[in-house]
Amino acid sequence: MTSTLTRRRLLEGSLAGVVAGVSSGCADHRLGRSVVVVGAGLSGLNAALILERWGFEVRVVEARERVGGRLWTLDHLPGSPEGGGNVMGSNYGRIFKMAHDLEVPLRSPPRTLPSDYFVGAQRIRRNDWASATANPLPDSWRNVPPNRLMGKLNASNPLLQTRAWHDPALMATDQSALSGMRALGFPDAAIQLIGANNSYGNNLEETSLMSLYRVMGEFGRLSGPALAVKEATRGNMRLPEAMAGQLRQPVEMDAPVTSVQQSSSATRVTLASGKTLDADAVIITLPLPALRRIDMDLPAARVALLEAVDYHKVVQLHCIVETPFWESAGWGGSWWTDSLLGRIFTRPIPDTTRYNMTVWINGDDCDELNVMDEAACTDTIARALWKLMPDAREVTSVGQLVRWTNDPHAGGVWALWRPGQAATAHAALRAPAGRVFFAGEHTAESYRGMEGAMESGERVALEVMRLLA
Amino acid sequence: MNTCLRQLAVSLVLSGFANLTALANPLTEEQLYDIACSACHSLGHTADHHVGPPLGGLLNRPAGAVEGYRYSEALSSSGWRWSLPTLLAWLAEPDAAIPNNAMQYVNPLTAEESQRLADWLLQQP
Repeated sequence: MTSTLTRRRLLEGSLAGVVAGVSSGCADHRLGRSVVVVGAGLSGLNAALILERWGFEVRVVEARERVGGRLWTLDHLPGSPEGGGNVMGSNYGRIFKMAHDLEVPLRSPPRTLPSDYFVGAQRIRRNDWASATANPLPDSWRNVPPNRLMGKLNASNPLLQTRAWHDPALMATDQSALSGMRALGFPDAAIQLIGANNSYGNNLEETSLMSLYRVMGEFGRLSGPALAVKEATRGNMRLPEAMAGQLRQPVEMDAPVTSVQQSSSATRVTLASGKTLDADAVIITLPLPALRRIDMDLPAARVALLEAVDYHKVVQLHCIVETPFWESAGWGGSWWTDSLLGRIFTRPIPDTTRYNMTVWINGDDCDELNVMDEAACTDTIARALWKLMPDAREVTSVGQLVRWTNDPHAGGVWALWRPGQAATAHAALRAPAGRVFFAGEHTAESYRGMEGAMESGERVALEVMRLLA
Repeated sequence: MNTCLRQLAVSLVLSGFANLTALANPLTEEQLYDIACSACHSLGHTADHHVGPPLGGLLNRPAGAVEGYRYSEALSSSGWRWSLPTLLAWLAEPDAAIPNNAMQYVNPLTAEESQRLADWLLQQP
């Protein structure tokens, strides 16, 4: 409790500096305005903290038995690998500020081991990629590693401004990434390799080229003070936990919402338990697959849009490796494959001799895995792993299977924009509907991922305060 | 409230509330700053742990001039000096004002809110 109080003072002290000499604001409870926040991920917690600072009565309800949403640190495994959001980008100012204020220590991530390639059922050493006979790329593309091929889009990236991905003048690029890449002259072999491990679309045909330009443009953008990529030293979930610890009213856990109703002057949130929460406004921060399951009176066009937005599929198998079996054969330890295994990321567990190895499978390749029961899915991935790396079997243990699409509270890892959705879907999905407001990474404008979630929390707090302040 | 909800939730469609947020009470400048700026900027004068440069004493300061802060080349060489017109142009669309700057930001404020915030910011010592 003492620690929490201390951190709360840190936050409020920070704000006091902001409003230097201004007596209104964080200590003012006269307003008596109440808000229910649905979802205790970064967006909901950030919105809740802002609203509490300015005197609102906030209740946060969370369907899971933990906070953090798609931040999920696997604390039960050695090395506490991240089952969800794993990278704090170098320009994640809101994340860094929150971690600083709440005294959540950050560190530079342990370096992921170098990746070799397994393409066309052939093993290729990373330094041999350009000359390897199994490299399917034409001559002028051969020296581009598979994981860098999508970056070639930046040669034609029309998004010179952050919000240009909605620009009507650029909507010709809001087309299928598959046909768009072909029109740009990407060779078929490059397109196949890009599609094999694309983190930003389940398949290229149903992904907007504009959305890939947005991602690539973000990666290419300079960051001001040239900070480095970070992670929370004890796991990224420590950040939302610390944020939740600041709230005056604890997050109500294990409390899935079944319906949200509103009148012209009030809202009512009904939980699965039957309990109801009345408030002046509701903020819904859930990923769209979870939001779809809430009974709400929304216009038909908006319901159709909710159904139409796709979510990225990811399956992970987290393993622990006792000894670096790859070294004797001269492999790097990580793999980029065009097989079921997708990518394999290996990194040392600090202060030990062991390693975290994560099999990371993206997109439609997850479909066959998502319909299996957990044991069969784990076994299928593990068998493929032992086939690729026979030496791994004796020194590697399977720790945790993570299937985000099958998680009813997530339904995937992040929103994908199909061809034609970049122009209008994003704005339509985040527009307030009466006293119901929407946040979450899918509603962010400038950023995606963790920082996008934080950004959306600010924006939605602003919208609520405009209504209720 | 229960009766009210029962009667209205059934009969009203959300499109009927479309203009609800237009009934807004204005936020104070402190609130606007807190929500729109404070995660990335302090009101100090020296570079600190924030990802953006400090905003204290902004009026008439040349853009990109806080010692110890690594600005984009675009901002450092812009020749801009912070005043109400330049700050408003920046807040409206940073990318358009100075292309290739490092502030990845889309302003969520209305023009009126931006105007009041800019006025307030330029008064901070």
